[in-house]
Amino acid sequence: MAGIIVNIQRFSVHDGPGIRTEIFFKGCPLRCIWCDNPESIDPRPQLGVYPARCVGRDRCGICERACPLDECPLDYAGGRVSGARRGLCEPGCLACAEACPASALTRWGRDMRVDELLEAVLPDRGFYMKSGGGVTLSGGEVMLQWEFAAELLAACKDSRIHTCVESALCCGWEAARSVFAHADMVISDIKHMDSGRHREITGAGNEPILENLIRTVEAGKPLVLRIPVVAGYNNSEENIRATGAFVRDRLRNSILQLQLLPYRRLGVEKYESLGQAYPMEGFKAPERAAWEEDLLRLAGVLREYGVPAVAGSNVKIRR
Amino acid sequence: MSHAAAARSFPLTSDENVAMNRDTYRNAHLIDTSPQAVEPFDKEWGVGISGNTPSPSPFGRINAILAATPKTTNGFVAPDAAELVTQAYMEHPGEPAVARRAYAVEKILDRGPIRIFPHELIVGCLCCDRKGAPVFPEFGFNWVVDEMRDGLMDYSEKRTHDYFSYTADTQARLERLRGFWDGRTVEDMTNAMVDDDIAKGSHAGKGVFFADAYIFCGAGHLGLEYDRLLALGLGGIRGAIEEGLSGLSLSKPEDIEKRVFYRAALIVSRAATRHILRYAELADGMAADEADAARAAELRVMADTCRWISEGAPRSFREAIQLVSLATTMVHIECNGHSLSYGRFDQYMYPFYRRDIETGAATRESMQELIENFYIKIWDLNKLRNHVLIRTFGNGGIGGPCLTLGGIKKDGCDGTNDLTFMALDAHAHVRLPCPWLAVRLHAGTPWELKIKTANLIRMGTGEPKIFNDDVTIPSMLSSGVEPADARDYQVVGCVEPDPSGKAYGWKDCGHMNIARVLELAINDGRCYSCGPGCPRWESCGAVGGRLGLATGSLADFDSFDQVLDAYDRQMEYWCDRQVAFLNAVDLAHQELYPLPLLSTFMDGCLESGRDVTAGGAKYNFTGPQGVGIGTAGDGLATIKQLVFDEKRVSGRELLDAVTADWEGYEPLYAYVNSDRVHHYGNDDDYADSLAKFAMDTWCKHIERRPNARGGFFQPGAYSVTVNVAHGQNQWASVEGRKAFEPVSDCMGAVHTKRGSHDVKGPTAICRSVTKLDHARATNGTLLNWKFSPGALAGETGRDNFIALMDEYIHRKGMHSQFTVANQETLIAAQGDPDAYRDLLVRVAGYSAYFVELDRALQDDIIGRTSLSFD
Repeated sequence: MAGIIVNIQRFSVHDGPGIRTEIFFKGCPLRCIWCDNPESIDPRPQLGVYPARCVGRDRCGICERACPLDECPLDYAGGRVSGARRGLCEPGCLACAEACPASALTRWGRDMRVDELLEAVLPDRGFYMKSGGGVTLSGGEVMLQWEFAAELLAACKDSRIHTCVESALCCGWEAARSVFAHADMVISDIKHMDSGRHREITGAGNEPILENLIRTVEAGKPLVLRIPVVAGYNNSEENIRATGAFVRDRLRNSILQLQLLPYRRLGVEKYESLGQAYPMEGFKAPERAAWEEDLLRLAGVLREYGVPAVAGSNVKIRR
Repeated sequence: MSHAAAARSFPLTSDENVAMNRDTYRNAHLIDTSPQAVEPFDKEWGVGISGNTPSPSPFGRINAILAATPKTTNGFVAPDAAELVTQAYMEHPGEPAVARRAYAVEKILDRGPIRIFPHELIVGCLCCDRKGAPVFPEFGFNWVVDEMRDGLMDYSEKRTHDYFSYTADTQARLERLRGFWDGRTVEDMTNAMVDDDIAKGSHAGKGVFFADAYIFCGAGHLGLEYDRLLALGLGGIRGAIEEGLSGLSLSKPEDIEKRVFYRAALIVSRAATRHILRYAELADGMAADEADAARAAELRVMADTCRWISEGAPRSFREAIQLVSLATTMVHIECNGHSLSYGRFDQYMYPFYRRDIETGAATRESMQELIENFYIKIWDLNKLRNHVLIRTFGNGGIGGPCLTLGGIKKDGCDGTNDLTFMALDAHAHVRLPCPWLAVRLHAGTPWELKIKTANLIRMGTGEPKIFNDDVTIPSMLSSGVEPADARDYQVVGCVEPDPSGKAYGWKDCGHMNIARVLELAINDGRCYSCGPGCPRWESCGAVGGRLGLATGSLADFDSFDQVLDAYDRQMEYWCDRQVAFLNAVDLAHQELYPLPLLSTFMDGCLESGRDVTAGGAKYNFTGPQGVGIGTAGDGLATIKQLVFDEKRVSGRELLDAVTADWEGYEPLYAYVNSDRVHHYGNDDDYADSLAKFAMDTWCKHIERRPNARGGFFQPGAYSVTVNVAHGQNQWASVEGRKAFEPVSDCMGAVHTKRGSHDVKGPTAICRSVTKLDHARATNGTLLNWKFSPGALAGETGRDNFIALMDEYIHRKGMHSQFTVANQETLIAAQGDPDAYRDLLVRVAGYSAYFVELDRALQDDIIGRTSLSFD
């Protein structure tokens, strides 16, 4: 069985305890406007274009020669590759990316089997053991490939590796349940308590997410929650208090930790490489001092509800 | 909460970790079973803040001294020692070298100007001002007066860092000595011993290897036998000299030689006692004139301390630390070497600490203050270096006065104690580039010490480095070091493990650019840049000659094995020549520059009746380093993959591409620098095994070669900063370097202008690097890590960092050093040096003020892969 994977990151230390290898699944049902992994949204392989790395059409031109079409859909500016009319490409082709010697054209997304992924995960087992780490599946949305995820996690458990799943939980419970059967820890987030507002900023309502969170806790799964705090979108005290009330009343505060994470303008280069506009282009992020203060204040608000809230992801998760 | 945690006055940061580490922790020999330093063991000083803190010490006195401490390596040149040495040589023209040296040292100790500086509790100086530099004419004198004459010593566009000031009077006094030293220096004698075949590939020729470190200065790179010094005192050591003398026969020829040595040792040993008494008198005199009664009382205590230790074995912590400081400073006066190191400070000082605590003779705080003062005294020492050496060895000063902490004791138990923690805190309290600190870790290191070490590293001053007992001790055993001596090793200078006080190891005496060896191996012994531009052209390339051995050309090879074989044979050819050169320099030292005072402080010399330069020490090694492991390894991997496996290019094309410095070969240049090619540092056996071959081949041809003192050569695997200089001597290379870029540093991966070759993060680096055989590099290895401060922040950052190091130790990595700084901070410091005078960074082997470094070195540091945990 194979899944489509967009990235494997060793020494990942923010998504779950200890030193981890994080496997990013490709494909996501949400369209969060602050997403910093745009290459993980589309469930198909994609072409990334990095003009700065191009050594020049005249000197090289390998990409054009590799293209199976009569008219190559790549665009050039100033003698370098600058973009692609992707609609003209043969689906799943990426011959240019395979041929490019300079990594100016890259492939996002690759089918990988469980055994291939296990091979990528096992070398760092010594680090997992020393640090209390393991493997985290992330994305994209893991649950879009839930059968593959469950199989992969089962293989990790067979190798005595701690497993963690990071998911938005915008999925059917059957998928979540199957995956959670092999997961030692779940990381999820609450982006907004108001479903209408949630739909505006993620493209979907929050009802299935909140419902799945309740079920996750009822199933006894160790859960770490997060709020990506974005000024003007979800950082109002009202929304945070609503979140606190939900975690207290519906989740009985049975979570390991609630992390308030800052918005950072990341992933811009990746949007450009995909030929897409950055959705938060006009957004003016507050200065570090301001958002740090904001996170600490809101964590204080949440703790009023008995929620184990912390600012950032540097506070140790007590298991 | 665990029992021990409940007993503490400060909160523990992670109970579960304490519990987890209980078993190893119980083995630690800590007073009251937990570290009782002045600071809690988990005290944090901030992440990435480096030295940018006013008044870092809790002691007002220390802050007052720091306020007057120069944050540069620049001081005034002092002519006194050079005059006194010259005078002594004139007075004793016909005597054996060791006697002449003894008279010279005696003269400086008796007549060199001494000073006691404001606020200090520990005395001693190099007979000049703080950061001043004496002149040692025996190694080469003309360059000193030439540089003064030509404006190359003081600040100028040609010397923007590590410059020295001097008065007109100093220049005039030194000019008067011109001429006397012609034909008498180590440089002169070495030149007389090496012919062109040996010199052609050296620093004086085409720079395949360097062997010049000890032509212009002493060897240094050792520690005194502090245990014995503290047990016997100077008087006791003198007794041992007299005993040796009285046991000699009148008529045996070898005993006549020994008699000369012992007599020289007596001269300098007596002079050392008188030198310390001069400080006692000076302190008494200053006390008499001192208006402040408290300071006058301090000065009288300092006088009493000096009077006692001038002969007697120390009885207290204060006496012991003063003797350690003064004895080492006097060895600096005798010997122009650098990286004289301070041994296992927490071990040899511990009996004094414990006694003073138990008797109530001193408080922890008072001893902490003494340690901090002691550190500042070490930073005050300085040595004059010429304008060529400082290009690659920026902010060098006296090199690496390393102080070793923690680790296994002679009996095999862990040796962590209160002083281990106090000595680490002292660095956070002074934040100076010296002394360099080395923490020895092993499987049984207490968790508290790892926390302390991690917190200090996270501060970002580059201290301490960490050494791994579990690979270093077996490595020393393989060099024939006795087990107890191996367990008792110290780290000297930048990188090198050394049996404390027992070895004359000639560490860091030279280095071989193994990436350059690969160039000559695949290009039939010729340089890629061979042509009329080369100064050797007329006698070499123009007449059909070649620099190296004819080992065939990549253009003609039809299997990769031929490449490996060519590299192997080329390496042997160059190792022959480097060994010859280094042995010549060694012989010149023996002939001209015996070190009788140092010999009285080393194990073996008084027993054997031989000077340390003549092989008197218990162990005798010579340790040059292999440089460019990553570059050579990636070069081999590139050839194997592109030419033989993929057949993407022919050997001829690849040679043409590097000869053209990649001009016109842009796609190939991009490709060899991309992640499509197997590269060392990514946990990829294909490339890692070839880096291992590159290093092993170097080790194979250097290890166990006989040296000139009855010992043998030990290979090292690190560059410190000379990877920059070697790169400046080297044309482009097949793995994607352009001409004159640095070769890879130490055991690290390749970074070219096109990008870093390691792309998989720290766990992959750790695994790649530990596939190399660290124990085989008996002269030491080094991996430089660079982290952004955000990567180490918080409890998770700290604990993940510790886990990473634990695995590096577990996988038998020998040695790591750390830079914790933002790329942006470093770049900002380049733009506005004055705002960043206190920014201490790890260079490679040592810490230095960033703005005091050569620009090329700054760029190299900025270019190292920054490991972000995000």
